[in-house]
Amino acid sequence: MTDTTQRKSTPITSATIKSDRRRKLWQAVEGYLYLAPTLIVLAIFVFIPIITSFQISLTRVAPFGGATRFVGFENYTRLFNSQEYFDTIRITLLFTLYTVPTGIILAVALAILLSYPMKRLSWLHRLLIFLPIVISTAVTGVLFRWIYHPVVGYLNYVLSLIGVDGPNWLNDADWALISVSMAVVWRQLGFNTIIALAGIQNINEVYYEAAKVDGATVYHRIRYVMLPLLSPTLFFLLIINVINSLQVFGEINILTRGSQATRTMLYSIYDNAFVGTPFRGLASAEAYLLFLLILVLSIIQFRFVGRRVHY
Amino acid sequence: MVEEKSLSVSPAQVASTEADDRSRWLTPLILQVILILLGLFVAFPIILAVLTSFKVPEDIINYPPTLFPDVWTFENYVTAWTSQPLARYFLNSVIQTSIIVLFQIITSILAAYAFAILKFPGRDVMFFLILGSLMVPFQLTFIPNFILISDLGWANTYMGLTVPFLASAFGVFMLRQFFLSLPAELYDAAKIDGASSWTYLWRVVVPLSKGSISAFGIFAFLSAWNQYLWPLIITNEPEMRTLQIGIRFFLFDQERGADWGGIMAATVIALLPTLLIFLVAQRQLVKGIATTGLKG
Repeated sequence: MTDTTQRKSTPITSATIKSDRRRKLWQAVEGYLYLAPTLIVLAIFVFIPIITSFQISLTRVAPFGGATRFVGFENYTRLFNSQEYFDTIRITLLFTLYTVPTGIILAVALAILLSYPMKRLSWLHRLLIFLPIVISTAVTGVLFRWIYHPVVGYLNYVLSLIGVDGPNWLNDADWALISVSMAVVWRQLGFNTIIALAGIQNINEVYYEAAKVDGATVYHRIRYVMLPLLSPTLFFLLIINVINSLQVFGEINILTRGSQATRTMLYSIYDNAFVGTPFRGLASAEAYLLFLLILVLSIIQFRFVGRRVHY
Repeated sequence: MVEEKSLSVSPAQVASTEADDRSRWLTPLILQVILILLGLFVAFPIILAVLTSFKVPEDIINYPPTLFPDVWTFENYVTAWTSQPLARYFLNSVIQTSIIVLFQIITSILAAYAFAILKFPGRDVMFFLILGSLMVPFQLTFIPNFILISDLGWANTYMGLTVPFLASAFGVFMLRQFFLSLPAELYDAAKIDGASSWTYLWRVVVPLSKGSISAFGIFAFLSAWNQYLWPLIITNEPEMRTLQIGIRFFLFDQERGADWGGIMAATVIALLPTLLIFLVAQRQLVKGIATTGLKG
């Protein structure tokens, strides 16, 4: 815009064209100078590793610190031929199944209660319920290790009050994954509730009023007015929570130290790459397959669930 | 993703509490009780940790367990602080977090400014590239990054702890959104006055954006302070551990001795800074999550 007015006022000479070009060039250079720090860091630590990770997955280090050699897709075929690997997939999917629906349902229920107009203390409700958003995975791990403690833990004590003999949560193969799931649901609860509450508060009141005039009960208002209008938020929560559930590490590392029953795909990657003799090629192959799983699950959700979302 | 709305006082939503309503059983008083109980239930693990950290050992293993300490003691904090290099862990976390937060704020401001205000070829492509990096899960990058950092000799150093996190795609995205809301006339006016882009950024844009920059700073702080997997693999010398890794080793060391008081004291120390941030900046945090749908 400024170029045209300039050209009108001054006769076009080769000098002005040149300076114009130089200005344009400087604009481009300037833009990239501002981006440079971010681009360099992301290139080195995010973009290039996508490729190197794949390269590593095609190699294998000879035993006793020998040379690295190219083995093609051997790591991948090894994984597909091992029962252990399929166990990690099964455990990961189970973990997603335990944590995601529970987490979303609890968050929506809490958000519905929090959305009621309260004259008093609503700051306190929010404070207490949102609290987990600042809690780290390590702290979550330590806190729940204490709660699950077979002898001095509170959970089994509370259960004993109602006459239930609580299991040895973390060491019992039948309960370990459920124990980890409960801890993770707790850590995610604050975040999920905030998103759900924002979604509920975004719904125009007119819809409820209309439903009320029609004589709809609270249940009907929630079921047929709120939930459909909330579906974009629910869909967002689903996508985010599924991805998160595939990447849980800290709690498993602290609660069960990756015992057989809680060895998820990510935990297996960590274990193979960094514990004992490192099998980085194998671990990288697992990392790529996990990435693929995230992609496939996201596509499935967009295709089959996303379609039912009302925008 | 979701639009922001005042989260403080909400109007009647799903149900109202009018007398003629069918939801008459849900009186404000009952709801008040339900919400407080639920809140206490959610916050229970943290409350428990704080109370346990002030108990004497006999009190902790008492059966049936009590909630409040019989005798209040500060001994656990002394033990935790002296029996473990907890002070060193704390210092490591402070240094690691400060470097990451400072750099992320600066690099994000620069990139966000370029995307929001400047015009240059390839800008939009670059923006989508950076946004795309948010979708790359870390398990795809942490093995090559570990190898790179180790080869550079940066394992067990602050460089190793921080360098991979000096930029943040989330920060770029969040600040760009805010910079876009600044009126374009401001930039034109500054240009006419002969200000360079650089001067305009630091004299006009940054002072006007203090709120969103500090909001991003809070997120950057939380995610840096709470990091787990990376510090775990990149440090194996105890004196370079961060607090999060420190409490893990403290737990594993002490568990047999069942020093739960000490462990809880260490845990409270690890979560205290984030708890303070939460109490001070809860509103900003909640708004940030509600508007971006991201946790940082």
